[in-house]
Amino acid sequence: YLSLSNMPNYKLTYFEARGFAEVSRQLFHLSGTPYVDNRIQRERWGEFKSMTPFEKVPVLEIDGKVLPQSFAIARYIAREFGFAGRSNLEAAWIDAYADQFKDYLEYIRPFFKVAIGASQGDFEQLKKEFAEPNRDKFFGFLEKLAKDNGLNGHFVGDSLTWFDLLIADHILTMENFVPGFLDAFPAVLETREKIVNTPKLKEWIEKRP
Amino acid sequence: PVSTLAMPSYKLSEFDTRGLAEVSRQLFILSGTPYEDNRISKDQWPALKEKYGFGELPVLEVDGKQIPQSLAIARYLAKEFGFYGANAFEAAWIDALADQAKDFISDIHPYFAIAMGMVAGDTDKAKAEIALPAIKKHFDLFEKVAKDNGSNSHFVGSNFSYFDILISEFVFSIDSFLPGSFDAFPTVLAVRAKVTSIPAIKEWIEKRPKTVT
Repeated sequence: YLSLSNMPNYKLTYFEARGFAEVSRQLFHLSGTPYVDNRIQRERWGEFKSMTPFEKVPVLEIDGKVLPQSFAIARYIAREFGFAGRSNLEAAWIDAYADQFKDYLEYIRPFFKVAIGASQGDFEQLKKEFAEPNRDKFFGFLEKLAKDNGLNGHFVGDSLTWFDLLIADHILTMENFVPGFLDAFPAVLETREKIVNTPKLKEWIEKRP
Repeated sequence: PVSTLAMPSYKLSEFDTRGLAEVSRQLFILSGTPYEDNRISKDQWPALKEKYGFGELPVLEVDGKQIPQSLAIARYLAKEFGFYGANAFEAAWIDALADQAKDFISDIHPYFAIAMGMVAGDTDKAKAEIALPAIKKHFDLFEKVAKDNGSNSHFVGSNFSYFDILISEFVFSIDSFLPGSFDAFPTVLAVRAKVTSIPAIKEWIEKRPKTVT
């Protein structure tokens, strides 16, 4: 097999889910970059676990060199293909909001684990105690961010970034668990609409597993 | 010398602690970049809180534009000043390790909450059940990374990165509560020794405000 370009061989390994790999998959599609979308069954995780640097997935292999940690992977690919903001300052804001998002995910975790069926618990009570207040805080920041950014279809800057993709995908997940979860954040929802209507992304969303 | 006319004005705001702002302070010092080390007291904070986007510290202001979140700040400065690996792959590994270090902080945090009297609990029990397992889990990994990198006193590549500085500070802080906890990780300790031997860092460590964390 002769490579037609100098492009590296990319292989992204994760479970059969969107989860923490979906943003990276979307970046490959948006940039028109071939990659191996390697999905492993959860039951087989034990076989692969010790082969990963941090005993976690996703991992990205670039010409066989392994990179762990979903945000490090997303940021790496985003930078390679131009989805990490137009300046170091924009990149820093994206990183800051992405880390704030990670904190929010930690706070809603007791609800999330029950919502995905990984734990037992009172869905409604956990939603009120963990999901709603933390949503109000974090999405309050995003509502302001979208407005301050001119409702231009992006959260930071004037071009699509990995943070846009991160949030759009999360909204989909939360709306599946709680329809109308983000109805109080119209600027966020408007931004999400524009993001998911990006042609190459729309195409992927329609055809993905 | 670098012209100060072209340089942005930097102001780093944090409580009077080392914490997760310390790595950024050291990046300013290592690069010889002037900055305002703005320490906010707990009394002042309630009135100031709404000035800051996320209502949290630390925050870096670059010509007045705010960047929150400690690792976003560290990464920004590391990029500006050249402490971010020699290429994109090294940079990504530095970021991956920093994210792993954040997981370590989450894992060990309950021990500190008890040890510092913020939460009720048995310190010895917390040490055995929370702190020591967290250290072992994460530092076995960091030790391996340092060794796989050639035991050259850096975690990634062959120059100082913000992760080298981050771990150096973690070791210092935790060792002050749990002396000897890192004796099993000599390659990690070698990174710390190298960071702290840099004259500007050595000098800063001697003169910086002495805080518990």
